[in-house]
Amino acid sequence: MSKILEVKNLHKSFGNLRVLNGLNLEVGQGETIVIIGPSGGGKSTFLRCINHLEEYQKGEIIFLGEKIDKHHSNLNEIRTKIGMVFQHFNLFPHMSVLENLILAPVKVKKISKEEAIEKAKAMLKKVGLLEKIDAYPDNLSGGQKQRVAIARALMMEPVLMLFDEPTSALDPELVGEVLEVMKDLAKSGMTMIVVTHEMGFAKEVADRIIFIDKGVVVEEGTPDEIMKNPKHERTRNFLRHIL
Amino acid sequence: MEAISVVFENLPFLLMGALDTLKLTSFSVLIGLVLGTLIGMGRLSKIKVINVPSTVYVEFLRGTPLLVQISIVYFGLPQLGIQLQAYPAAIVALGLNSGAYIAEIVRAGIQSIPKGQYEAARSLGLTHWQTMRYIILPQAFKNILPALGNEFITLTKDSSLASVIGVTELMRRGQFVITRTFQTFSIYFGIALIYFLMTFTISRLVRYVEKRMAVA
Repeated sequence: MSKILEVKNLHKSFGNLRVLNGLNLEVGQGETIVIIGPSGGGKSTFLRCINHLEEYQKGEIIFLGEKIDKHHSNLNEIRTKIGMVFQHFNLFPHMSVLENLILAPVKVKKISKEEAIEKAKAMLKKVGLLEKIDAYPDNLSGGQKQRVAIARALMMEPVLMLFDEPTSALDPELVGEVLEVMKDLAKSGMTMIVVTHEMGFAKEVADRIIFIDKGVVVEEGTPDEIMKNPKHERTRNFLRHIL
Repeated sequence: MEAISVVFENLPFLLMGALDTLKLTSFSVLIGLVLGTLIGMGRLSKIKVINVPSTVYVEFLRGTPLLVQISIVYFGLPQLGIQLQAYPAAIVALGLNSGAYIAEIVRAGIQSIPKGQYEAARSLGLTHWQTMRYIILPQAFKNILPALGNEFITLTKDSSLASVIGVTELMRRGQFVITRTFQTFSIYFGIALIYFLMTFTISRLVRYVEKRMAVA
């Protein structure tokens, strides 16, 4: 299994607040990693460091053999290979679903508009929203918005997908449709890092669950190991609260 | 009665001035928009050599009287070897001035867009400039349209100051008529009405565009 991402001894603080305190992680091709942990523990910050939406102070992030830091000569190109899905969707409200999908492929990857539109249709079909191609984000439900956001990220043909609590802003009855899309994606072989507390999802598709607290990986293991037999007190406490 | 008929007799002459006022204002707003957008973005830049001059520009042009600015451009610059005719000098001064106000409007507009929009665009690989152009500014523009309309109206009124350097816009032409007829009240009042008609029309236009954009 070839390595996609390698994080070594990552440190990040906001002013005096230390958020990441020497975090280590390796992710192999096709793996689905689920990150759990208490809020404020550094999960989101960690994801955001991977595609350099946040700068970090110490340590290394190596993606496909290249070091990602502020000195990297082409962060924009790296970012096209790392898709990100946000808690609050962040669709572009002034653009239709189709325009949301084709903007980056046309402007960044410079593929033709016709080709992009064909691809967008295929992608929307995949997430079950082809009929919404001309709709605007304001007219979609939360679950539909998130599925469009996933399709938008996939348009760039990323090597790695990051999900930052993709279902926590959704009404409970809309969570399922988003998780279904993510499960399909995981099963299709996409490499994914997912911050979520949906343990059912973790159990079904995660290769590994990582428990992060106070900016370090406290414990990691298969879903069975973590959920049935957590080694650390902190992990046990946390799981008791969310299960 | 004579007081009223004097306005009507000179109406074509005054309306020519109103047209000049509109032209003057439109050119200035155009300059102001381009300048204001750049400086507004500059105000938000983390890079000091961009941020500091932008801030100084805004503070200085907002903190000094427009009449003084017009005088600097028209009477002052020739001493430095830059000679401008009255009309272009007025456009330059008004444009530079509105640039400062529009910069603040644009800055507020950009800040009104949630950070997630910027991050989503960057995470897709768009550059800072592409993100500004396709994602942030179009949304910001919609939000600041009422404020821009206000600025357009303010500038229409302020353009009357160009009369002091001899631009034959509405105010100046009114003064010509007064020196001929001595009808101070009716002419000044007539001019006021014409200004009001122009600003009122602009405000209606802006509201119309606003409504159209709210639908889209």
